[in-house]
Amino acid sequence: MDALAPTALSYPDLVPIFADIFQYAEPLTLETSADDIATWDSLQHIALIRTLEMTYSIRLSMDEMMEIRSVGDIENVLRRHGV
Amino acid sequence: MPASANAPSMPVVQSAIETIVDEAISAAPDCVLRRAILPAINWAEVAPVKVALLISTLADARVTVPRWLAKQLLLAGHALPENLEKTLTSALVALNRVNGPGSSSEKREDIAGMLPALCADDQIEADVAAALVQKFTALGWADEAVRLALAQQLRAPGILKRAGKAVAAYVDSLPTVRVRLIGTSTTQTLADDFKPSFAALGWRADVTQADFGTLLAELMRPPEGADAHVVLLDLDGFAPQDWRRSAADASDLLAERINHLAAALREFTAHSQAPLLINTIPVPAAPAAGFLDRSHASGLRRAVDRINRHILEAAEQSKQIIVVDADQALASLPIRDQSDAKLWYYGRIAYSADAVRLLARAFAEAWSSLKRGPAKVLAVDFDNTLWGGVYGDDGVEALACGDDFPGNAFRALQAECLRLRQQGMLLVALSKNNPDAITAFQTHAGMLLQPDDFAATAINWEPKPDNIRKIAAELNLGLDSFVFLDDSPHEREAMRRLCPEVSVPEMPVDPAERPLWLRRMTRTWPLRLTAEDETRAALYAARRDAENAKASAVNFEDYLKGLEQHLTVAHVSRATLPRVVQMHERTNQFNLTTLRSTEAEISALIESGDRGVAIVGRVRDKFGDHGLVIAATVEINGAEAVIRSLLMSCRVIGREVERAFLGALIEDLKSRGVRRVSGDYIPTRKNAMVKEFYASCGWQSAGADGERTSWTFDVTAMQPPRSQFVALNWEA
Repeated sequence: MDALAPTALSYPDLVPIFADIFQYAEPLTLETSADDIATWDSLQHIALIRTLEMTYSIRLSMDEMMEIRSVGDIENVLRRHGV
Repeated sequence: MPASANAPSMPVVQSAIETIVDEAISAAPDCVLRRAILPAINWAEVAPVKVALLISTLADARVTVPRWLAKQLLLAGHALPENLEKTLTSALVALNRVNGPGSSSEKREDIAGMLPALCADDQIEADVAAALVQKFTALGWADEAVRLALAQQLRAPGILKRAGKAVAAYVDSLPTVRVRLIGTSTTQTLADDFKPSFAALGWRADVTQADFGTLLAELMRPPEGADAHVVLLDLDGFAPQDWRRSAADASDLLAERINHLAAALREFTAHSQAPLLINTIPVPAAPAAGFLDRSHASGLRRAVDRINRHILEAAEQSKQIIVVDADQALASLPIRDQSDAKLWYYGRIAYSADAVRLLARAFAEAWSSLKRGPAKVLAVDFDNTLWGGVYGDDGVEALACGDDFPGNAFRALQAECLRLRQQGMLLVALSKNNPDAITAFQTHAGMLLQPDDFAATAINWEPKPDNIRKIAAELNLGLDSFVFLDDSPHEREAMRRLCPEVSVPEMPVDPAERPLWLRRMTRTWPLRLTAEDETRAALYAARRDAENAKASAVNFEDYLKGLEQHLTVAHVSRATLPRVVQMHERTNQFNLTTLRSTEAEISALIESGDRGVAIVGRVRDKFGDHGLVIAATVEINGAEAVIRSLLMSCRVIGREVERAFLGALIEDLKSRGVRRVSGDYIPTRKNAMVKEFYASCGWQSAGADGERTSWTFDVTAMQPPRSQFVALNWEA
């Protein structure tokens, strides 16, 4: 893997989702987390969960809601749901 | 942003896939029939020339392009030949026109004619609607994209995003309504959904939210500057359960909370002129008292019923308060999907995303109805709308309308028209026919509507938009208060083009669906039924005060009085004998002796002259005829009479019919020279309810034999029992 390139996403749909919910225009990496995004507060977290559930037709649990703190976390959860 | 960083890597097996696609296309007829391989192909990656080959291969084999394949191709951006459009839904046809050849301006003109119907289409598929909006946006048709996205957002969640920034620009151009939102749970998600919901109805919602937990305080001192206040109620937020309390305690506490809310609503109307929209609490997600949830004091459904009743009462007493029925608003969602437990635990969000969207729309519709006023006029077509068939072609006798299928569906739509008329709407006839078509309502026996029911008629061959304008002028009403019902898509389109103010809903093609469809049409929902409006609140208050003042027994008397019961007594005849025998066989509860007399025995009694008598009673009340429900057989021996059997059907128990009947029996015996009547109570497992019957009618105890008791009545000295609630007469 090219050390300079950002870690590639398996779910590129997350880019427009993050742009829409968090107005986050920086490149997304697996490491991008709530610490990097000022607008990722508890209310927007709900919007994110709603959007993920709707976009991928899945139902997330309370644990997953807590687990999701970064793009990598989201990918792990999506993978687990067989998305 | 380097787009390549997030783009999916190109699949390395592309050429193998291409081979499979080519093979599948050459085997297309078989693939379609077996629904194999074709559904799995990503048609967006397939060249148009290959799609054309697919279509021609199918055509050569005389295999119709199935709807599912057409949809896949259209969603992937391909165009289909026009001759395939007849099997497509109108939304898919629109997508085909957009995908097809032609300049953007030609296509736009084409779509302009279809757009109102697409916006009004309540059967549209979410993915097709989303694809249309995306196409419109890509073509730069911002206006069309926004209109369709706003109109279909309930059926296609996420569709608004496909219209991009144009939505915000459009919403900013709308008149503003300042909404103040208060709730017993987190209101943020509803506030978010208010923007698109209000925009769909033509308003820019400027929403501010009260601080959490300040519902009552805010209602009592409503802030200035809001055009509408919205209260979002939920059960857990309004009345959290405390299972340490006894059911009785909890019930008292709930009463107190309800009183506080009712008082706060009264205070609100005293301090603010603005309308207040409040939802009823929907059916709980799960019961707390199982089977008893709706009846027992600890039941959640019962709590919900109580709270809702008081909200409705508060609304009855103030024109400012509009109640949104949450059960009706959420009816398309299963109860378990109306809330999302993790959102409640995470952030006290009481309703699921889907439910919030529906509630937002229901609140916006209530506001819109309040602001615009409900529709005032229903303009209806005749042929294939109010009746099945065409008057001019088929003749009046052949029109379908009446008690039988399929005319009963048309008759039911006429009934809905009459309902709307009763609720204050004007009916207008708008039919392309010779003027004599109006006589069909009189000459055809199945019609419910009569010519007089129409406030105005235009039955001629002029264009309907011209006619409706003339009628609007005649009635002195704006076109925006008209709703137009017509089965013809062409008439609807013409009306939309030439009279855009008129509401022109997409009427279902199937006449069976139309009556309920009309009932669900919010545009026709009255906010208040004005004929009773002024008196209702006062009447209501008086009735409630009366109820509070009286004991429940008094209320029961009112009920009995209101029943207007008539008891008709007759001697058992040949005609009534079978029913009397049947009653002897079947009656268990109200049966003093449970003597299973046979037809022969009763028959012998009737024919014994002065040795016996059998009488039977029929009960009618304001709700209908209960038939023969009470009977007795008596043996007479000179001045002594013995009641052998006395029994009554469960249908009329507890309404004093038995007292009146016994009184009638005694009067009859008296007229035959009887001076003393006696009777026994013989206990069984089921007749405990009549143990004290003779006592309650003033009879004297004449001893007991174990559980069996004997009673006598002195005809010369005592008043026969009677009932003020039962009008008695003897059949001639």
